[in-house]
Amino acid sequence: MNFDWSKEQQEFRNTVKAFLAANLPDNWEQMAHGPGSASQTEFSKQFCGALAKAGLLIPHWPKQWGGQDADHWSSFILAEEMWAAGEPRGGQYMNVNWIGPTLMLFGSAAQQQAYIPPMARGETLWCQGFSEPGAGSDLASLRTRADKHGANYRINGQKIWTSYAGHADTCFLLARTGDSKKDISIFLLPMDTEGITVREIPSIIGEGDIHEVFFDDVEIASDAMLGEEGQAWEIVRKALSMERVGLPRFALASKVLHRAVESLKKLDQCTPGAMEQASKALAACESARLYSYHIVDQRCRGELPGPETSAARFATVTAERLVSEFVVEHVPDALAGGDPMLLVHHQRGIVAGIASGAAEIQLNLIASNLLELPREPR
Amino acid sequence: MDFSLNPDQAAIVAAIDRLAQQFEQMPTGFDGFVLPGDELEKELELAQYFDLAAVPELGPVAAALAIERLSRLPCTVEVALSMLLRPAINPEWPRPVATVEQGRPGRFVATAKTLVLIDAESVSVAHPGGNDVEAVESLYAYPMGRVTGEPAREKMTTEQAARTRTLLRIACAAEMAGLLQAAIDATVEHLTVRKQFGRPLGTFQALRHRMAECAVLAGGVKNLALKAAYTGDAGDAALAALQAQHSASRVVYDVHQMFGAMGMTLEMPLHLWTYRMKALLSELGGRGAQAAAVAQHYFAVTK
Repeated sequence: MNFDWSKEQQEFRNTVKAFLAANLPDNWEQMAHGPGSASQTEFSKQFCGALAKAGLLIPHWPKQWGGQDADHWSSFILAEEMWAAGEPRGGQYMNVNWIGPTLMLFGSAAQQQAYIPPMARGETLWCQGFSEPGAGSDLASLRTRADKHGANYRINGQKIWTSYAGHADTCFLLARTGDSKKDISIFLLPMDTEGITVREIPSIIGEGDIHEVFFDDVEIASDAMLGEEGQAWEIVRKALSMERVGLPRFALASKVLHRAVESLKKLDQCTPGAMEQASKALAACESARLYSYHIVDQRCRGELPGPETSAARFATVTAERLVSEFVVEHVPDALAGGDPMLLVHHQRGIVAGIASGAAEIQLNLIASNLLELPREPR
Repeated sequence: MDFSLNPDQAAIVAAIDRLAQQFEQMPTGFDGFVLPGDELEKELELAQYFDLAAVPELGPVAAALAIERLSRLPCTVEVALSMLLRPAINPEWPRPVATVEQGRPGRFVATAKTLVLIDAESVSVAHPGGNDVEAVESLYAYPMGRVTGEPAREKMTTEQAARTRTLLRIACAAEMAGLLQAAIDATVEHLTVRKQFGRPLGTFQALRHRMAECAVLAGGVKNLALKAAYTGDAGDAALAALQAQHSASRVVYDVHQMFGAMGMTLEMPLHLWTYRMKALLSELGGRGAQAAAVAQHYFAVTK
């Protein structure tokens, strides 16, 4: 057991930090509050292009696709530093984490050639067409349909809460191709296809982050399907296994916590009560960090991540919440013209227990798969 | 960063696990507040396991893992201070080792051969004679005792005292990690077999979610304790002890709720873990003191 970073890992982290220091503009922290906004989407394309040229966008991808075959620690260290900086990759983090690798496994040669190289160059933004008004945690009940129409599919339906949809080039879309629960397929759908309407939903989590997407008789060629008809669950399961650890939210939470305490020091307001709260939040951040590291370590050794991944996710949600509560209580100007990174953290933190599977779903998974409690009747 | 054990650590962890399995069962008809592990203690002495942290290939991480595993047993032995504190401060100290804080009763004090006495900022060491200590009846599931005499004390240097506090925090977290896990395991078993409204309690989501949250806390304490044992860092130790005491206060309440009236009886062993946790909750100044230590180390706030 060893809790030290290797020389190579430390050097890699330093390289990423140096890149961030050199490439983030002075007004980055003001810009970072709208991850799906036009300004950040534009900046992210430029930033990811520079990351790609520096060999830091996809180090963990296979060499065949422009990567360096780096291990899971590289992608996680990269993710930690990016998230702690306010995620200047914007929505492109999804490309490098799971959309690209999923296309490598299940895409046709034509799909791979069309979509993977632009991701590797940092030029393209995707959105994830999963949730619907009637299908959130219960994703299998989704109703958007893709019906055979000659050589094409015709798509009708609605997605909601879709991040980045306003500026996305392509949608990773789940649609029903039959009536049974398992008859769901995946389409790689260009967002400029006729019949797609995107409406941004104003939200408390930042500009341009969540949307409704409507599909009205959207015609798409059959070769836009990823894998085979009805293969969506197999593909999604595999894709999610690449995202198992979740975002390293604890990295930004911990950084923000330290900044919040520094601001209290200047005001001489580090009361014992405030510091006890800050210390508990820090302990939660470090607990989440070690949970995540444990899972990355398992993946590096080729072990299949188990139910501990849900525990890591819940520990991260807890850390986000405690830091957010601390900031709102002790540095209230964070939400009223104060330090912009505290606002960024607050807005990102709101979704921590909801995006990528509600925290309560994770608790159920922990109860069933880690504690092995008897399952609920359905 | 590597969470796997080296071959020596894996071997000793497996050996301690085999030994622990012999002491998993409760004696028939037991209904006491505390279950002393005298036979286990003899086995640990015989195998020289109390000194394992001093073996370079094993180190404090193996000791922390041993403490965590042995703490899951229903019986109790003074393990944590002997395995983590003694090898680092003075391997010549006779064991058992116990702490006495501000003159209050403490765990294993009545049988301790070495006492670590903590009075405000001062830490000293004493080796009590038979008339210097006495047993105290208590609800805690440790044998409790207090100092009644005036054994000769040797005051630690400031550096030694700080090192001692760090090691005590790591020991507390490692022991708590085992107690948390054992209490959760016992509760999961209860929720699996106990039926109400025609189905196992463990199928009710209100209880499942609370248990899952307890499990996340317990796993976090273990990870933090192991990291602190590895680094020996005062900040890591404070974080681990804080998370341990914070988690225990939540878990103790929840598992007793899950057991209902059964958990109030001494015929159910739940108290053997929860009332050990309650004893650890107040040690080293409790959560407030651990939080102050965290604030000092990580935020440079000292007031």
